[in-house]
Amino acid sequence: MSRETDVVVVGGGPAGVEAALAAAAQGLRVTVLDEAPQAGGQVYRAPPHAFGGTIQRDADPIGVALRQRLAASSVVTCFEHAVWSVSPGFRVDALAPDGPASWTARAVVVATGAQERVVPFPGWTRPGVIGLAGTTIMLKSQGMLPGERTLVAGQGPLLLAVAVGILKAGGQVAGVVDLASPADWAREWRALASRPRLTARGAGWRARLLRAGVPFLYRHAVQAVEEVPGGLRVLLTRVDRHGAPTKKVAREYLVDALAVGNGLTASTDITRLLRAAHHYDALRGGWVPTLDAEFRSSLPGLYVAGDAAGLAGADAAVADGILTGLTVARDLGAMTDTAYRGAIGSLRRRARRARSFGTAMARLMAIRPAHVAAIPAETIVCRCEDVTRAEIDAARSEGAQTANQVKAWTRCGMGPCQGRICGDIVGALLAAGEAPREPVGYFTGRTPLRPLPLNLLAGDVEYTSLKLPPPAPL
Amino acid sequence: MGLRGAGIERGRPLRFFFDGTPIDAFAGESVASALLAAGVRSLRASPRAGAPRATFCWMGICQECTVVADGVRRPACRTEVRDGMIVLTGTVP
Amino acid sequence: MTPGLAQETVDVDVAVVGAGAMGATVALHLARGGMRTALVDRGEICREASGVNAGTLTLHMTRAALIPYAMKGRELWLTTERWLGMDVVARSAPGLSLAFTPAERDMLEKRAEARTAMGAPIRILTPAEACRIEPGLNASLLAAAFCELDGHVTAYLTGRAYRQALRAAGVAIIERMAVEQIDRLGQGYRVRGARQVVRARRVVLAGGVWLETMLAWLGLRVPVKCLINQLVVTERMRPVMRSVVGIASGLLSLKQFENGTVLIGGGWQGLGDPVRGGVQAVPENLIGNIQLARHAIPALGETRVVRIWLGLESETADAMPMIGALPGLDEAYVIGCVHSGYTSAPYMGRLLADRILGREPEMPLFDPTRLVQAAPNAVEEMT
Ligand SMILES: Cc1cc2nc3c(=O)[nH]c(=O)nc-3n(C[C@H](O)[C@H](O)[C@H](O)COP(=O)(O)OP(=O)(O)OC[C@H]3O[C@@H](n4cnc5c(N)ncnc54)[C@H](O)[C@@H]3O)c2cc1C
Ligand SMILES: Cc1cc2nc3c(=O)[nH]c(=O)nc-3n(C[C@H](O)[C@H](O)[C@H](O)COP(=O)(O)OP(=O)(O)OC[C@H]3O[C@@H](n4cnc5c(N)ncnc54)[C@H](O)[C@@H]3O)c2cc1C
Ligand code: FES
Repeated sequence: MSRETDVVVVGGGPAGVEAALAAAAQGLRVTVLDEAPQAGGQVYRAPPHAFGGTIQRDADPIGVALRQRLAASSVVTCFEHAVWSVSPGFRVDALAPDGPASWTARAVVVATGAQERVVPFPGWTRPGVIGLAGTTIMLKSQGMLPGERTLVAGQGPLLLAVAVGILKAGGQVAGVVDLASPADWAREWRALASRPRLTARGAGWRARLLRAGVPFLYRHAVQAVEEVPGGLRVLLTRVDRHGAPTKKVAREYLVDALAVGNGLTASTDITRLLRAAHHYDALRGGWVPTLDAEFRSSLPGLYVAGDAAGLAGADAAVADGILTGLTVARDLGAMTDTAYRGAIGSLRRRARRARSFGTAMARLMAIRPAHVAAIPAETIVCRCEDVTRAEIDAARSEGAQTANQVKAWTRCGMGPCQGRICGDIVGALLAAGEAPREPVGYFTGRTPLRPLPLNLLAGDVEYTSLKLPPPAPL
Repeated sequence: MGLRGAGIERGRPLRFFFDGTPIDAFAGESVASALLAAGVRSLRASPRAGAPRATFCWMGICQECTVVADGVRRPACRTEVRDGMIVLTGTVP
Repeated sequence: MTPGLAQETVDVDVAVVGAGAMGATVALHLARGGMRTALVDRGEICREASGVNAGTLTLHMTRAALIPYAMKGRELWLTTERWLGMDVVARSAPGLSLAFTPAERDMLEKRAEARTAMGAPIRILTPAEACRIEPGLNASLLAAAFCELDGHVTAYLTGRAYRQALRAAGVAIIERMAVEQIDRLGQGYRVRGARQVVRARRVVLAGGVWLETMLAWLGLRVPVKCLINQLVVTERMRPVMRSVVGIASGLLSLKQFENGTVLIGGGWQGLGDPVRGGVQAVPENLIGNIQLARHAIPALGETRVVRIWLGLESETADAMPMIGALPGLDEAYVIGCVHSGYTSAPYMGRLLADRILGREPEMPLFDPTRLVQAAPNAVEEMT
């Protein structure tokens, strides 16, 4: 039996929690579902309850406050619930540790955040090579280091966060390898200046790393990772202004872990599943749902907030989350238009400011077509199915033009991650360079949004009590 | 403490099994963390090339860390260890 | 279309509209038979039903009357390297249809008998015999129908295989262009899409569930029912089965591919329509389908479901195919609405191509005239 509510919010990060609180404050019945054990999302990921005081005390106070406000509200929360289906109308299905559960709701807010993107290189599938965003999770929620000595590489603000996190946890940082140049960072000065607190924090991190003797290599990228006795050999190469690597190895590092990431992509599983309109926005993390100014998707009743709507960062997620919650409240008749107008004015400004900072960060994380173009032929692109770039190129030269066609011809994107890791890279390879992504399209969204253990889903049933449709004709 | 971050109080000690080998861990850790800390570098072999794989995204998306925990296939990074848990490699024969 | 951008015109002997397995097969044989052939699809070759179906080559689920055709089609799939030039990972495997209740056993026996009468070599086995053929079975079954002629194809490779064969045969492939209208000319037809116009002496409509719309272009009213079939695939798992497993009612079709994935089907329905496609799986129908699958092969409980999708299958009012010349029109043909149509497409397509090329088809076609509800509206003759 489905439980009935007014609003289901998928994702308990800053966007989802704020949307839920805002809608609940107007008297709506709201349920938040998240596959994580606690609220906070990726940025405010909570350490496990079982861990002692130290890590709890160090947890970001914003996240702690978020969890407290949620707990004190009327919002119903269901953690360790992985949403695997959202049907129009709406019905939301989740898999909890003890089996399936479902809800019906008048509105659904998608606040599923963002996920890792790494531009493949030979050796990126080796144990010890970990996503940059993933490394923040290990550090924050598990107090774990990726290795004794870690090289941190890729793009964007997570580079500094990860490197400092490793130092704090007592690990060694072999170096910070940035695809961008200092000039690329400087170009974002205006946005940086708008958030003095965050900018100061970044500068402090940088200073701390320099004090610890961590070398910064700008305009460099990982060329390959090789397994050697005692760890990984990471070969670095210089890149030009466009992110195109040179052939020559500029530097080698011997480490036991490489944390590497080239930005994030919006988690659009649910909006793609529901066939909402999307467009490609390289600066906001690839394909993103097309929304109106009040966070409505093209499907009535379906709203998107936070990074799932396109990368904008944690501060923007808060402001956008509140606005989304209010829009839902007004659309469902829990708030008058006048009250709504009164509430959103200052929020709008706050959201705009936050977004300008987030967008600057997203620009630093944007994929560089020249970087993708240089992926060597034998490199695995689809990790699940071990599909190489050469196989994708072969399909392309035989006439495959769209992401879905390449998938059918090569199995690229057919494995357990369902193209969530390789999707944006496959698109970039097919579009080749700066060509628009629209003709290439994206992997069709389908259920389940997470692999479903068949026994858990099927439960215990007697054959005779199965509900079967009428037999097929003879 | 190896890869366990310095100065972090963990939960109570417990023990589980990975492919029959006893592994010491702490309550609150994920199977992925505990195995990494124990020096287990590979969790499974990839399907076509048979190459070793381990955690990559740490958020339950990539499925690279898939293991069989108490009979259920699931990502190790999203599975909390329990005392006596039987964990097997996620390699498909 | 951008105004001012001239539409390109292609002149051919025959235009085939719809590049599923039906249309692609017809086009291939017509081109090989010497006709200048254009094949037009609004998407890509075999990316609708013909690229997303279960690929089962079973006789257990085929409509009895179509068994002789399906047997021919199955043979063709198993030898694609010979006539299509590429392996589509088609494999022969034994086929079992199961009964777990007395009512199912009765149904199984009756259905096996009807199909055997049409030439399918099906016989009833005891549970022990069935378990010897398929050790993975749930031993609580009451009976099984066995057919040696079964197997499966990897349907998602169909488009890739057909594409290179069509190219080699010289077919003009026009992909990603929806046909919007077909006009009758003095002699022949003008097939219009946004980018191109194809002028053809003959036209073949092979639009799957979209045939109702296509036939209306030529003034024919033929209702076509659209089924929204659900398929479920698991991640790779250890070998747990070697046969194609179904159930008496036809509500299950189950097989494990060489790569270890298991495909679960059986015609459970999702939501969708010809306009939007197959848009949404119904959670209960997924759960019912996998409960049935796990009952048949209990080891499936170990694996995970990674994807559920929906494909559109077409059916006529009498659930029999329409293949042949269209009434009241000169050199206009239709092919589609074939049950187990993937299995028989390579054969059905060849039969229609033979007819168009003026050869006597080896087996009878399925005259569409019986299905036309209204007499053809007088279509304006155009020049
Ligand atoms: C791994 C990672 C690390 C990051 N680290 C930082 C950082 O250190 N600093 C920083 O400023 N920004 C960081 N970011 C960016 C930051 O996450 C976002 O800017 C911000 O958190 C966005 O908030 P959100 O609420 O939109 O999404 P999130 O905070 O990502 O929250 C989304 C939530 O949805 C849940 N979810 C997703 N899909 C499902 C599903 N199908 N079923 C159930 N629940 C689901 C997730 O478990 C998660 O809790 C990181 C991003 C990622 C992906
Ligand atoms: C999920 C599912 C499972 C199935 N399982 C099996 C099975 O196991 N075994 C079996 O034998 N059969 C099976 N079938 C049936 C089989 O797939 C179909 O009978 C067969 O593929 C139909 O082929 P077709 O060429 O007639 O149609 P389609 O493959 O649907 O081709 C029709 C083509 O017409 C094109 N088109 C539509 N409108 C236009 C337009 N305006 N302009 C140009 N082109 C247009 C479409 O893009 C499409 O490519 C299954 C069907 C489904 C949906
Ligand atoms: S590391 Fe990606 S799912 Fe666990």
